[in-house]
Amino acid sequence: AARDDLNAFTKGLKGLNATFTQQVFNEQGRLKESSSGRLALSAARLFRWEYIKPYPQLIVADGRKVWVYDPDLQQATVKPQGPEEQNSPLAALIDPTKLDAQFVVKEAGTSEGMSWLTLAPRTDEAGFRTARLGLAKGELVKMVIVDSLGQRTEIRFSGWKRNPAFARGTFTYTPGKGVDVIGER
Amino acid sequence: CVTVPSATVLSPERQAVAEQQQAAREAELRPRTDWSLAGRIAVSNGSNGGSGRIDWTQDRDGYRVALSAPVTRQSWQLSVDGATGVARLEGLEGGPRTGSDAALLLREATGWDIPVTSLGDWVRGLRSPAAGGAVIQFGPDLRPARIAQGGWDIAYTWPEASLDHAFPSRIDARRGDARVRLIVDQWGEAGAQDSR
Repeated sequence: AARDDLNAFTKGLKGLNATFTQQVFNEQGRLKESSSGRLALSAARLFRWEYIKPYPQLIVADGRKVWVYDPDLQQATVKPQGPEEQNSPLAALIDPTKLDAQFVVKEAGTSEGMSWLTLAPRTDEAGFRTARLGLAKGELVKMVIVDSLGQRTEIRFSGWKRNPAFARGTFTYTPGKGVDVIGER
Repeated sequence: CVTVPSATVLSPERQAVAEQQQAAREAELRPRTDWSLAGRIAVSNGSNGGSGRIDWTQDRDGYRVALSAPVTRQSWQLSVDGATGVARLEGLEGGPRTGSDAALLLREATGWDIPVTSLGDWVRGLRSPAAGGAVIQFGPDLRPARIAQGGWDIAYTWPEASLDHAFPSRIDARRGDARVRLIVDQWGEAGAQDSR
């Protein structure tokens, strides 16, 4: 079932990268946004989420700080890494024990050719109402998050590479000239 | 940072034409209160800030502004009821809050200074009746390059194609440490989704 797929997916996992497409639907179910890009995750709380289309945006967690860089807006905000993590089920992917620590995880049957897990946050600061992970052939295929206002985000992953050799600087961000940095580095 | 147009000095004649076009544009657009925009916003007050996607829906005197964070698109929403003027902020920790002053409600909850009452006019390149005396500086294309009003200084970027009632593609508003940068990716008017 889904949990076995998840365990297979995360067993011996130290790092991951993949590409994603993301669709966001408002509370009436109307498609508001379609975007795509790539992500990288590494065991020691390192995380890189890079939107490429339709507009560039980079989110990097270097283990201490989380950077959000918007090239078009020429602003980079930096925040301590702690609290940001609770509300991203993705960060718990690398370390399933954290998944259970942060969420009540339940099997939710199969649909769309995937077996599903539902994640209910154990605290109400997670900022979302429900999250569901869709797995198939021992891989995470889809993540669906509904936030407290009923907005639904569907992220579809492809091309998972397990324990890849990360390029230097994958999990660091250095603001370039002309970028307004907001927050303590 | 944003390349703010240098202070172009228009000849008196062109200045008069620009002012007249602006007055006509305001007279035409202010009554139109069923419009929407989708874009990206970055706010900061010097020490903290954030960025995300913004969806603004104006409906007569009321409006709804939804902001979604990166990745999980966790969103929160400020809505003002056109009839009663009551502002409601939902989706943030601590549950919904209501108040009579939308900007104050937002600042108390997020620490950010966003001039929501006037932003609906400013983002369309209009002076805002709610913000008192305004000084406009027009660009060579006779469209507003900057509007200074209510303590805010708003710099405009317009799309190349100069449609007669085109809206700005970007604004960069500052007041002291507070800064709001907004890129409009899509304007909508009563269903006419004019995507850029």
